[in-house]
Amino acid sequence: MSLSLHPLIVLLFFPGGLFLLGSGMFYEWIDRKLVARYQNRLGPRWFQPLADVVKLLAKEEIIPQGVHPGLFIILPVIALASALTAALYTPLLGLQPYYSFQGDLIVTLYLLSVMTLSLGLAGANSINRFSLVGATRTITQLFSYEAPFMLALLGPAIAAGTWRIAGINEFAGQSLWMILTQPIGFIVALIGLMGKLELPPFDAPEAETEIVAGALTEYSGRGFALFRIGKNVELVVGLTLVSAFYLGGLMNPLEFVLKTLGLLLVMAGLQSLFARLRIDQTVGLWWRMGTLVALLQLLAIVIGRALPGLF
Amino acid sequence: MNTEELLQQAEELLKPWAKEVSRPEDNRLDVRIEREDLLAAVDALILKAHRGYLAAITGLDHPEDEQVELVYTFPDMAALVNLRVSVPYADAQVPTLCDLIPSATLYERELMEMFGVTVVGTPDPARLLLSDDWPEGVYPLRKSFTGFDQLETESES
Amino acid sequence: MEAKEPKKFIVPIGPQHPALKEPGHFEFSVDGEIVTGASIRLGYVHRGIEKGTEQRNWIQNIYLLERVCGICSHVHAMAYTLGVEKLAGVTAPPRAQAIRELVAELERIHSHMLWLGVAAHEGGFDTLFMYSWRDREVVMDLLESLTGNRVHYSTNVLGGVKIDVTPELADTIRKGCDFLEERLQHYLRVVTTDETFLARTRGVGPMTLEQAELLGAVGPTARASGVTRDIRIDAPYASYAEFPVTVVTDNGGDLTARFVVRIKELFESCRVIRQILDNMPESELVAKVPRRIPAGETISRVEAPRGELFYYIKSGGGDRPERVKSRTPSLCNWSTISTVAVGHKLADMPMLLAGIDPCFSCNDRMIQIRRKGHEDQLWTWEQLRRYGIEYYR
Repeated sequence: MSLSLHPLIVLLFFPGGLFLLGSGMFYEWIDRKLVARYQNRLGPRWFQPLADVVKLLAKEEIIPQGVHPGLFIILPVIALASALTAALYTPLLGLQPYYSFQGDLIVTLYLLSVMTLSLGLAGANSINRFSLVGATRTITQLFSYEAPFMLALLGPAIAAGTWRIAGINEFAGQSLWMILTQPIGFIVALIGLMGKLELPPFDAPEAETEIVAGALTEYSGRGFALFRIGKNVELVVGLTLVSAFYLGGLMNPLEFVLKTLGLLLVMAGLQSLFARLRIDQTVGLWWRMGTLVALLQLLAIVIGRALPGLF
Repeated sequence: MNTEELLQQAEELLKPWAKEVSRPEDNRLDVRIEREDLLAAVDALILKAHRGYLAAITGLDHPEDEQVELVYTFPDMAALVNLRVSVPYADAQVPTLCDLIPSATLYERELMEMFGVTVVGTPDPARLLLSDDWPEGVYPLRKSFTGFDQLETESES
Repeated sequence: MEAKEPKKFIVPIGPQHPALKEPGHFEFSVDGEIVTGASIRLGYVHRGIEKGTEQRNWIQNIYLLERVCGICSHVHAMAYTLGVEKLAGVTAPPRAQAIRELVAELERIHSHMLWLGVAAHEGGFDTLFMYSWRDREVVMDLLESLTGNRVHYSTNVLGGVKIDVTPELADTIRKGCDFLEERLQHYLRVVTTDETFLARTRGVGPMTLEQAELLGAVGPTARASGVTRDIRIDAPYASYAEFPVTVVTDNGGDLTARFVVRIKELFESCRVIRQILDNMPESELVAKVPRRIPAGETISRVEAPRGELFYYIKSGGGDRPERVKSRTPSLCNWSTISTVAVGHKLADMPMLLAGIDPCFSCNDRMIQIRRKGHEDQLWTWEQLRRYGIEYYR
């Protein structure tokens, strides 16, 4: 399905801008509500994420001593902007992406990482000890999940024979669901997404009982709100990518809603199942397990594609 | 070993240093010693004979004698052995037990700030409980301390 | 407190920090994520209760001492009343003693379950936190229906107790225990089999039997290292001689062992609660205690949920104590932290701190109020009380 809209509308309202912000908050609410229900709590009401953002935006932004003020202000903007830009290349709501070119998968992945990098920089920019420890952990975690997550998303790309997200989406819609043909890749991708979003059990970078709020300890008001929105957008984009690749493509809005929410249901379950991993355990898990199995999976795909040609 | 035997054994062990021995309760043995003998007595009782552990250091203020009495309590099962040491206000010092029993440090810090008894050689003499701006030389658990209002009026008069 | 070496990177935890729900101050010097040293500063909630007891009469002090701690309030009042009764030469009637034990064991259940939740939260396992606190409500309700209060039970009076257990109440408590035992079985399974949780607890903060003895650890913290020390058994008080418990120990010495010991203790508590309810002695509830307590001194020890609680009580023969000294179990266990912490990851610190089940309680009678441009004001307790009454009028 494809609509043709004026580029400004695309950027500001749909599917970029407002729609993304709205859906980001909606998905955050679903996530919080699900985790709460899993934990036998009531959970927030539907407008809670919006209320949080409005409250934060209305608050005074305190620029602490010892930071570079320009960097302090610009980093949340960069984080949000990169997450929003990444969305433009993904089949949001089951529609064709508005911008698409050969290799946009790589660009999207890097744009998603910019978010984490800004988070790390924001922490390192501060002189707060909790922020510094948080920043170290954020970047350490980035290095640990990034490789396997990328490998896991490359699997479908190689199977489809294209580096265009739209092309992979199309291929996924026509062939057998790749969760069945590449189950390991799916698991790695899903857990990699959780690591990317710093959701439990990979929330060591912002473990409140150890380092308060990690890299974001010094942030308040607008900057904090922008980082939060950025994370929500990343949640939507990540869910879209993984379900487009592994759950048989996203061809229409209904498919989009069902598949991404289904994925979120599983993710919320995983969040409430485990205790927080220490940062060294996270790194160990990803490099000893994640990367290896993702590589094996990739190898299998490459061999599988090459074999018919050999004989 | 029952309580009676434990106490008798402790009494035997502490005999060389005991200035005064009493049995005020069935399960309690009070031994008064000099502060110079404290380390030797604790060493014999706890480290050599393994009779009990340090449960508390209780300070008792005796303003009428201008003394602070320290009660070191060593329970072993139901038996309680109290080593009692008295120090005068003018020379309020006791040796530290931390070399023998490392866990005594917190009790000693409490004793120092609450009773003004200097524990010589304690590893960390910093305040434990009182606030940082608590005036020096005011020891809240001495009987002479009755709150700051009264103290101020006393110093004015 | 200053860093001893200038190049140390110090991570402060507390006095205000999300890991600690009560104020205490810890400074961990770290090298990367590895902790190289630790120091402790307490007293942020020091309220001067020991001094306060000297200005109140014997009966008022029960209520004051019960407020030393909001979690283990009953044991404080029980240790004090048992000591005063000993001084007065009065023994509380058997039924009163049994009720004291009953409330103490119910309190142990509530305290350990509270701890289970807090410790799980420190390890980032919020699901266990939410579930255990939900189930803890059951025992809180039992305590409320038994004593009328959720926290400060005010069960003890000098010479006995002021509440009685009716057969209907006994049935409610039995049912509550059935439910709790079933849930505790589940939690025991979780903390011993959940892989991510074990990864955070197994081998963390190991303390050997010798270390535990040397560092003066008490209660479940010591018992998790194999120290068989439990005042309920070593020196039975209240009705622990008639309704004995068996000591629960573990040789692990690590955090897992501390979880296991605490949960297993609760099975023992449930068992002894049933035993008490089934064999409740018939007698009066209160024995008469004189208003003036004969001169003398005594030491009263009870096993609080966190370990040995020590009370020294001295009477001068008047209507007020000469001196009341209370040494809470947390104080003994603190010193284990600074030794055990070294060499661990920073991420383990909250759990290690929680592992001893710390409870910050002491006392102060004045408040110093600072306003910009004003001189420092010292407020006495009376002024503060009046201010409070005026403020809320």
